[in-house]
Amino acid sequence: MLVDLQGPWNPIFGRLGLLLEVHYNNPIIFFAFMMVVIGGTAALSWVTFTGRWGWLWREWLTTVDHKKLGIMYILVGLVMMLRGFVDALMMRTQQAMAVGPDSPGVLGAAHGYLPPYHFDQVFTAHGMIMILLAATPILVGFMNLIMPIQIGARDMAYPYLNALGLWLTVAAASLVMIALFVGDFSHAGWVGLTPLTELPYSPGVGVDYYLWSIQIGSIGTTIGAVNLIATIIKMRAPGMTWGRLPIFTWTTLASNIIALTSFPVLGVALALLTLDRYIGTHFFTADLGGNLMMYTNLFWIWGHPEVYFVVIPAFGFLSEIIPTFSEKPLFGYVTMVLASMAIAGVSWTVWLHHFFTMGASPGVNSYFSIATMLVGIPTGVKVFNWAFTMWRGKLRFPTPMLWAIGSLFLLITGGMTGMMLAVPAINYLVHNSVFVIAHFHNMFLLIVYAAFGATVYWWPKVFGFKLDEYWGKVFFWLFTAGTLFVFVPMYTLGFMGMTRRLDYIPHTSWEPLLLLEVIGTGFYLLSILAFVIQLGVSIYNREKNRVVASDAWGTSRSVEWMTHTPPPFYNFAVTPVIHARDEWAWRREHGLTNLMPEKFLDIHMPKNTAVPLIISFFTLVCGFALVWRIWWLAAATFAAIIIAMIIRSFDKDTDYIIPAAEVERMEKEIVARAEGRIPAGEPAPVGGGAGGAYASKRTPTQRRDND
Amino acid sequence: MSHANSNPIDHPEVQLASPGAYLVAYAAALGAMFLELWLVVAHVLSPISLTTAITVIALLVITVQMYLLFKLDLSKTQIWFTVSFIMTAPLIFMSIGLTIWMFITLMQRTMLPGM
Amino acid sequence: MSSHDNAPVDPNTVELWDYEDHGHDFIGTRTLGFWLYMMSDAMIFAALFAAHGVYVRNFAGSFTSQEVVHPMNAIWPTVFILSSVMTYGLGMVALKKGNKSGVVNALILSFLLGVGFLLMEWREFSELAAMGAIPQMSGFLSDFWTIVIAHAAHVLFGLIWMAVMIVQVAVNGFDQNNVYRLLNLKIFWHFQAVIWVSIFTFVYLFGAI
Repeated sequence: MLVDLQGPWNPIFGRLGLLLEVHYNNPIIFFAFMMVVIGGTAALSWVTFTGRWGWLWREWLTTVDHKKLGIMYILVGLVMMLRGFVDALMMRTQQAMAVGPDSPGVLGAAHGYLPPYHFDQVFTAHGMIMILLAATPILVGFMNLIMPIQIGARDMAYPYLNALGLWLTVAAASLVMIALFVGDFSHAGWVGLTPLTELPYSPGVGVDYYLWSIQIGSIGTTIGAVNLIATIIKMRAPGMTWGRLPIFTWTTLASNIIALTSFPVLGVALALLTLDRYIGTHFFTADLGGNLMMYTNLFWIWGHPEVYFVVIPAFGFLSEIIPTFSEKPLFGYVTMVLASMAIAGVSWTVWLHHFFTMGASPGVNSYFSIATMLVGIPTGVKVFNWAFTMWRGKLRFPTPMLWAIGSLFLLITGGMTGMMLAVPAINYLVHNSVFVIAHFHNMFLLIVYAAFGATVYWWPKVFGFKLDEYWGKVFFWLFTAGTLFVFVPMYTLGFMGMTRRLDYIPHTSWEPLLLLEVIGTGFYLLSILAFVIQLGVSIYNREKNRVVASDAWGTSRSVEWMTHTPPPFYNFAVTPVIHARDEWAWRREHGLTNLMPEKFLDIHMPKNTAVPLIISFFTLVCGFALVWRIWWLAAATFAAIIIAMIIRSFDKDTDYIIPAAEVERMEKEIVARAEGRIPAGEPAPVGGGAGGAYASKRTPTQRRDND
Repeated sequence: MSHANSNPIDHPEVQLASPGAYLVAYAAALGAMFLELWLVVAHVLSPISLTTAITVIALLVITVQMYLLFKLDLSKTQIWFTVSFIMTAPLIFMSIGLTIWMFITLMQRTMLPGM
Repeated sequence: MSSHDNAPVDPNTVELWDYEDHGHDFIGTRTLGFWLYMMSDAMIFAALFAAHGVYVRNFAGSFTSQEVVHPMNAIWPTVFILSSVMTYGLGMVALKKGNKSGVVNALILSFLLGVGFLLMEWREFSELAAMGAIPQMSGFLSDFWTIVIAHAAHVLFGLIWMAVMIVQVAVNGFDQNNVYRLLNLKIFWHFQAVIWVSIFTFVYLFGAI
């Protein structure tokens, strides 16, 4: 039934015997391992010595609060982004070192310092991590954090599933990090090129790590998508009609429709490849009736919508940031909504443009070419809408606005090169060249810019103090220098014929441009330093930069600025009634900015639970067991997951009620704190961090009768 | 927050259950499956009309099931079920149809006929 | 509607907070979410059917679909799964009347019919394995086994869920949680009938032509 494996296998330890072949004496692996050990030890000892284990468990690990889950999503994304960035550094330096036959080689490489197999793992990990474990969690994190407040909800529709989605993403990220030291990672590109990923050509565990970590992460993302869509449909405050939804909420909806429908296709593509590798079926083999292009096809049926899944929320960030700093309502709200939905729809009809060169008929290629170009129309509408929003506005240029404008420039250049790639005749010439790489990095950087803008923009709402503007601007300009120095030469090299994934550069004439790219990565490195300094300085000066007003920027427009800063864990003491498209701007214009309701009501909240964490832990172990083909462990953990879900289904004690009097007390205390009647240095029983330590400190006072 | 005191059985989605609809859907699906089977084993149609006929019958059965089993309509309780299905159905047809289209042309251009 | 709406507002009468606290429809939210998941699940089958369209003739010199696919045998699992879905529907009618034993009995009957479906599939695939038509033989056989077993795996999951629900209803009766779970399981179970109609038509009958 199962395939024959190369190398050792035994029933207890599976393939773990392969570990003896890993070169732990390689200084790169050793260095990376030491960094993770030092970082992990530092974090754990900080938690231990400050006595925060209980706090960590109650406030973060078992929380179901959408704001805290959102913050943790973003944190996971940032950590993985750093990992992906280190991979990028290694690729840039390797390529700059390994130019021409005379270039020296160290550490076992003929040229440069990374042997081909290691280099291949580095670029595979870079691509897969940046898209699935950095961009996706960061964007899902913002959706979690902001969207429910924007629609006036207390929490997501399914807080428990929300936690499960986060912890499954963490499990996926952990599996990738484990792959760094225990065994190796896939070497077949982040798209998993078949038949290279088939067992005969990739006999190790690398591809299995790739398959299971993406599979676990994509289950998490699908769960998140169900949750976010249902929240938008069912949990809106009274008066929050579809015509009044903030654009970021609309883009959340559009992108999660994409996630909901496209991730299962990825799951199928990976599952079929898994079957090939584990039981020897012939889906993507080159012989016995397999069809290796079918993998590419299924992968991109997911892959292209996924690209829009990450770009549409970025458009949502821009649509929130630009009106705030133009002091004008967004131009063309209805067209913006239609454009978001149109991009989501068209994203499903264009996937073949990733493999025009497969050799389908001119009719097929023409259809997909035209469909791809159609994406330009709604995107163009959006660009003009933002431009018209700024036109004759009272423009200010704090860091969020700088990031937003930078993002617009990147959207235009990336969009233009995208149009070029949409023409099959051009595509045949530049297919798999670094021109394509430059194009899609251009598009992903647009998302990164928008996400950094969103970070600065919503930071005061979430944490109650603003980020440092000076270091923020240093960060922005260094990052922009990096972008220019890396990607302008990369576009050029693409036109000069340089293909992607080269560990050795045959043409010495490409060396100057490759060196420019290394300078660019140097700017990126400095910019990350500036970001760290920005965070450090801002946290150090948090009392000076404290924001007490609900509206940190003074000109914000949507509902998330209508609750306290930082929002209490229940978001709104009483659910707001919505009267206008930009409700907060409307209330400001009519002088209705008082946040204190006249009376208070009982609030019904979900209780913390450790079940999502436990299920995800079992999932991680199950994934590890499947990678190493330790069947008993995989079966046991899978059974444990099912049993945990069944046990949870019998738990009726899942929510509690905060009595109205208690809500009133907390609200008054928040106001007193804002007015300075309670010294700022006092520890905060409410508010604080992501919105309050209160929930877990109190015993539930009352259960719903009906449970 | 939720209707703590109302009886969950009074929920409109529980009240949608109808023995008539379920029995009709059952009979229609079963009858249609036997009809398709008979069409295939009796060889009364040419291959092209046969595939067309059973495809149409299957799609009709699915439509009937969508309406009678899931009660997809535009009423207030059901509208979002209908909308999400209507938005998903084209994706299902597109991913299957475009895939088959591109691979048929690929086969014609790269492989011997009949492979 | 628009934020330019500068119609005069009386600050004393405007309703800024929802003191009625209309709340949200708990059961309706749960079922909608599950339906959304079902759409996602439908896309899994869409991808598998797309694959089926590509692998349908990739026999690689091994068994052809006419040798492997027997619609005359597959009609009996069809009868079982459709009957199981129908009895589950009758269980929902009993739920509407608040009839606990009716629900439990209908679920047990539905469960047994589902088990019957799986046993017939088990027999079919044991026979295929015995004659050597295993998924490792060709692209077509890989695809055939995978698409049918993917459906069977859903049925198996549904059966586990149904067993849990029989206990839940017997222990806790029709509380809010059990009612939404019964509704979700109804969505899940009825969806398997829709998928089976597609598999019977596009895999079994098309394969026999």
